[in-house]
Amino acid sequence: MIKYFSILLVGSLVIGPHAYATEPIKPVDHSGHTMQHDDGHDMVHGDDHMMDAPPSEHSKGHTTPEGHTSHQGDGHHHMDEDHIMDHEGGMIMGQNFDKLPTSCDSISEEIEITVRAGRKYAEKFPGTAFAFDNQEWRVKPCAKVTWHFINEDHVRHQFMMHGLPRYLYKYGMFHLEVTGPKTISGTIIMPGADETYLVHCDIAQHMENGMKAQLVVGKGGENLPSIPGLTPYAFTDIYKHVDLPQVSDKTDEDSIMKQVADLFDSNSLNSGMLIFGLLFGVLSVPLIRKLKPIRKSNNNNQ
Amino acid sequence: MPIHFLIAILSFCCMSTAVIAQTAKLPETVKVDPAALNIEPICDPKIAASWREAQEIEGVKIKESRLCNPDNPAWIAAAVKGTNNISMATLMQTGLSPDAIIKTDDLDGDGDPDRITIKLEIMELNGSSRDFDGLVPTFDIAPGIQPGAWVFAPKTSGMSTENFESVRANPLLRLPSPVIRVEVGDIVQIVLENTHYFPHSIHLHGVDHPFSHHEYGGNDGVPQTNEMHLMPGERRVYEFQPRHAGTMFYHCHVQTHTHLAMGLGGIIIVEENRPNNWLQTLNIGGGQVRHPSVAIKEDFDQEYDLHYHAMDKELTGIIQKYNDPRLIAHEMNQRYDITDSTEDYFTLNGLSFPYTLRESLITVEPDQKIKLRVLNSGGELLALHTHGHHATITHYDGVEHNPIAQIMRDVFDLAPAQRLDLTLNTTNDGLHSYGEGNWLFHDHREKGITTDGMSEGGSMSAIVYKSYLTEIGLPKGSHGVDLNTYFSKEFYQRKVPVWQDLDKAGTLGTPAGQTGMTAGIDPATRTSLLNFLYGLLLGISIYLLIAKRQLAKQAVLRVVSLLKGSKGSIKND
Repeated sequence: MIKYFSILLVGSLVIGPHAYATEPIKPVDHSGHTMQHDDGHDMVHGDDHMMDAPPSEHSKGHTTPEGHTSHQGDGHHHMDEDHIMDHEGGMIMGQNFDKLPTSCDSISEEIEITVRAGRKYAEKFPGTAFAFDNQEWRVKPCAKVTWHFINEDHVRHQFMMHGLPRYLYKYGMFHLEVTGPKTISGTIIMPGADETYLVHCDIAQHMENGMKAQLVVGKGGENLPSIPGLTPYAFTDIYKHVDLPQVSDKTDEDSIMKQVADLFDSNSLNSGMLIFGLLFGVLSVPLIRKLKPIRKSNNNNQ
Repeated sequence: MPIHFLIAILSFCCMSTAVIAQTAKLPETVKVDPAALNIEPICDPKIAASWREAQEIEGVKIKESRLCNPDNPAWIAAAVKGTNNISMATLMQTGLSPDAIIKTDDLDGDGDPDRITIKLEIMELNGSSRDFDGLVPTFDIAPGIQPGAWVFAPKTSGMSTENFESVRANPLLRLPSPVIRVEVGDIVQIVLENTHYFPHSIHLHGVDHPFSHHEYGGNDGVPQTNEMHLMPGERRVYEFQPRHAGTMFYHCHVQTHTHLAMGLGGIIIVEENRPNNWLQTLNIGGGQVRHPSVAIKEDFDQEYDLHYHAMDKELTGIIQKYNDPRLIAHEMNQRYDITDSTEDYFTLNGLSFPYTLRESLITVEPDQKIKLRVLNSGGELLALHTHGHHATITHYDGVEHNPIAQIMRDVFDLAPAQRLDLTLNTTNDGLHSYGEGNWLFHDHREKGITTDGMSEGGSMSAIVYKSYLTEIGLPKGSHGVDLNTYFSKEFYQRKVPVWQDLDKAGTLGTPAGQTGMTAGIDPATRTSLLNFLYGLLLGISIYLLIAKRQLAKQAVLRVVSLLKGSKGSIKND
């Protein structure tokens, strides 16, 4: 188990430097925009669609049509600022282009980050099934981030961020979802405080099996547990020694059997004949040595 | 000195093993106060009463359901019209992905769509997590009973849990795998999107399907004969155009001995082709079909899908014991031995009693004809018994039995994977029905009415006449016991004396434990304490034996010589 942890540790050191956002920061001039809202104005915006909801609201949604009834559109483009869905289930939730968090005076940077998701990114983390290409991204406080989420699998994956301020983001969530292979993009504005946000895929067992990462804003907060290659698992299995058959375990009998089989195999006729010849030679030497004295004695007799 | 010590220990042992103090009266009966139990509401409070009403959504007529937990009517509307033909408002009430059920192209020009695409994902229920000591997403088959399971689930949108604060599964993610309905002649595509961490497949047991498809390849779901495993993150299309109607079965054919038992199997029904036959493509959770096909409506008043299943807790526990998929694979594929297994949980439409009361009652009126489609996906024979009724077996495995040879029974045996179509006739003639009532129907292998051996549980449910049904859709309890106790997890944890409330005195309740030194100690601790004392005693005696070996030797020699002496004296005589 110590070995496993040390592998994790080494892994995090190796991967760490690559984990930061590598997309170039787009130089954007903010001077044209007056992004300063007072708190009250922000709250009014928030009230429209994204007020903090009691935990049971989601489930109540099944009983009574809430909020969405007025949005009967062209069949399959559900458009409000909070929830966009295409006809294949591609979904953007909690997008925010312009509502500045109360903790920010202005947008500090505008960046684009590409996140790839798929089974192949789990290959470098033994014991996982799905993963993002990076396990950690870093942005400045008050950054406006456009996420390009590329799902490379042929199933659904999600890029779900938690812990955002609820007056701006419904349930404190920003959520991209798409069935691959396909890309979906969405924009959010990060709050001004140093904080570490959970990013995961909420499909059953996807986070548990590797699809977990963190977004570090500024200096960040506490690391989240169980991020592949980055942070220790909160709960780990006990790995017992397994006794698998080894090539070296094969008995001599087996190798002789194999040679006999090879001998009668037409493809290895040459090698078979070689062994045959070798055997013949080895056996005939004592025979010849035995014959010699007989001859000698015969000669002597004559 | 050591002898004193020995005596002290011995007396302590005697005191602790003394069972009951010598008294003239046996202990009083003690009862569990219902207030000490975590009693759940009998009906799930999150389900709106309006769901029970007969209604029309998106032009889809939905029959009344008298059950206390009816299906979400939006699910039914989406299943009938297809998720591509309903408004976003309705779709948002289903939780389905917009491409979950696609219905297009009226190929035979008879007024209903004939190209049907059904997208299924594979979801794990009650699995373990590396983040916290608990299960996620949870699905209770009975109060507090959460076996690890895998299901084919209709393609959903959003989270796997009810919401971020909850670990309970999204209502679309549940046992059993959904009942699928298609029409004879439909070009059906079942698209399997493997969202799970293991390889899987779909085998269409009994459904007319080609062995191989010119475009999509292997179509029989069997890795050893037909197609490669569908790996995690991959998608496969199973296309078929069925020519024969009947009640069939679909299931995963990868490591079938474990994957089917884990829940990867469901009913698939091919309905007869009729004009304007908009089928309820998915019956999520099975049970009453609230939008029956045209052919069924011609002959029957009601239709029910009844999927019986059984699970071994040793198998279902594997995904709760391990996180690493490699360890789970090792445990399931190499260590778990189905030939030594026993089934512990018995479900009807994914639930065990008392939850079967919520959504798997057969609610009837007199003089009705009701179609029951029954599947046994468990590993053993099922002996389904209907109280108060003899039903007629019309079809075996989706094939009609010769009408003049059809038989009536009150015990229906179903081999594993077998399907029976039954006609339940509620005419009170002393044969088909003995009259109105709240009639049980249950597996007559008696373990089938238990949950891990605790009765009442298992797959039992009831045929309830309208006059015996309460306002909220429960069988009237006036003639029987209070059902509330069954809705507590403590009951299935074997903590509630089953007969404590049969009479006021509680004559068959639980006696209070003995008072005294060991009263407060639970049996396990007491046993280990006693074992420790015995060990101590043994250790001391061995020590004494070694320390005083000269004494012991002398004693032995003395005895031996005594015996010899006596023998000698006998000889001498």
